[in-house]
Amino acid sequence: MGEIEFANVDKYFYLQHQKTIKELVAAIFNQKKTLERVHALKNVSFKIKKGESVGIIGKNGAGKSTLLKLMAGVSSPTSGSAKISGRISPLIELGAGFHPELNGKENIFLNGVILGMEEKFLIDKFQEIVDFSEIDMKFIYTPVKYYSSGMYMRLAFAVAIFTQPDILLVDEILAVGDTAFQAKCIAKMEEFKKEGVTTLFVSHSMDAVKKFCQRVIYLKEGKVIFDGDVNEGVNKYLKG
Amino acid sequence: MLRYWSLLKKLTSREIKARYKQSFLGFFWVLLNPLFQMIIMSFVFSKIMKMTGIGVPYPIYLYAGLLPWLFFANSIASAMGALTNNSSLIKKIYFPREILILSTLLAKVFDFSLAIIIFIILMIFFKVPFTVYMLLFFPIFLLQFIFTYGLSLLLSALNLFYRDIQYLFDLVMTLWFYVTPVIYATEFFPMEYRYIFKINPMSVFINAYRQVLFNGAYPNWESLTIGLVISVGLYLIAHSIFKKLEGMFADVV
Repeated sequence: MGEIEFANVDKYFYLQHQKTIKELVAAIFNQKKTLERVHALKNVSFKIKKGESVGIIGKNGAGKSTLLKLMAGVSSPTSGSAKISGRISPLIELGAGFHPELNGKENIFLNGVILGMEEKFLIDKFQEIVDFSEIDMKFIYTPVKYYSSGMYMRLAFAVAIFTQPDILLVDEILAVGDTAFQAKCIAKMEEFKKEGVTTLFVSHSMDAVKKFCQRVIYLKEGKVIFDGDVNEGVNKYLKG
Repeated sequence: MLRYWSLLKKLTSREIKARYKQSFLGFFWVLLNPLFQMIIMSFVFSKIMKMTGIGVPYPIYLYAGLLPWLFFANSIASAMGALTNNSSLIKKIYFPREILILSTLLAKVFDFSLAIIIFIILMIFFKVPFTVYMLLFFPIFLLQFIFTYGLSLLLSALNLFYRDIQYLFDLVMTLWFYVTPVIYATEFFPMEYRYIFKINPMSVFINAYRQVLFNGAYPNWESLTIGLVISVGLYLIAHSIFKKLEGMFADVV
């Protein structure tokens, strides 16, 4: 549980230049490009053991998001194999399952179930989730469309943190929220680390990566340029 | 699939709750909307066009076709947006994507069940006798559901790749409405064109509903078998296409 193994993974996807049939027909008549094959990941292989904290760094478009999508299982590799064992909790785009018209409580249950939690478990943990989010109980029955973005974030993070994951995928989430809540999140992630949860950490903040990870995987144009000690990897990345 | 039961339940109730929280009149919309359509159409077609000889009062005859039709049309319309509206979920977490479609349709079944209440009141009002044949409504509706689900799977997946499929399909639906006996009876159609009703599953279902509800008789088994074959066949094909494309959803959404 909690292991990730990528062997010779290649990922191509088609970039659709036209999003409607109307545009497609026009493009065919004008002999424009319709589909473009993008080679997003090139022969990527690595092995992550249980309990490791690995940073994934690279410029925009280097393939970081594609890599996370493969790990989350929402996208499949074109060739090669991606083996992921255990429950994955993605802390990417927090609150994706939230519905603005529903209140905080309804959204906790909705998002919890989407993240794979049992309803019974959510009933037990409801108070703890609300406490962690630091949202005043009187707002829990207010539709989340009236929440501030900070409250929204905190509630989403609080739900995600209760998934009891084997693997945690963290994508730039620490960039939002106030400093006190950020510290709380980092403390929670440290706690996960002690419990042996594997963490994948995507960030553009090299300080955060250095603080949190021992190992980095540096991606450039879809290839793994470096895989190893965090300081060495970060230096390599900063030099370009 | 059992693992995803509570997800299906939550997504369905999200659809239902969100819809009723948004509008001022709440649950009454689902009742009022088809009711007003029925009243307007009844006026036009029974007073102006004078449709007669159908056995039961025109308003209820119309309603028995209009409700299943609206269920079908509304389901397809919402299902086509179901994947695109949940793009952030699709990019984030894995679960079988057909759950998004199924939950949308189940929310429409809920609307449909509410609207049936008015239908039953009308049945009593017009003194249409209740018979055991009416229980056949349920298996016929199951068939209609399978047909609607199959078409929804297919169209929602295609709409993800080309976003104007839904507008294109609006046109198809307008035409489809007129080749389905919702406002008229099959018998009003010239003989040489009636084969259309045999190969149009929506017409098969609506004729069958009217047969079991108003005539106290079995539906036309031959037509219903054609409806069954088309529905199940469509579902199987649509499901396999949907599953094949599923791996690409997160890339294109």
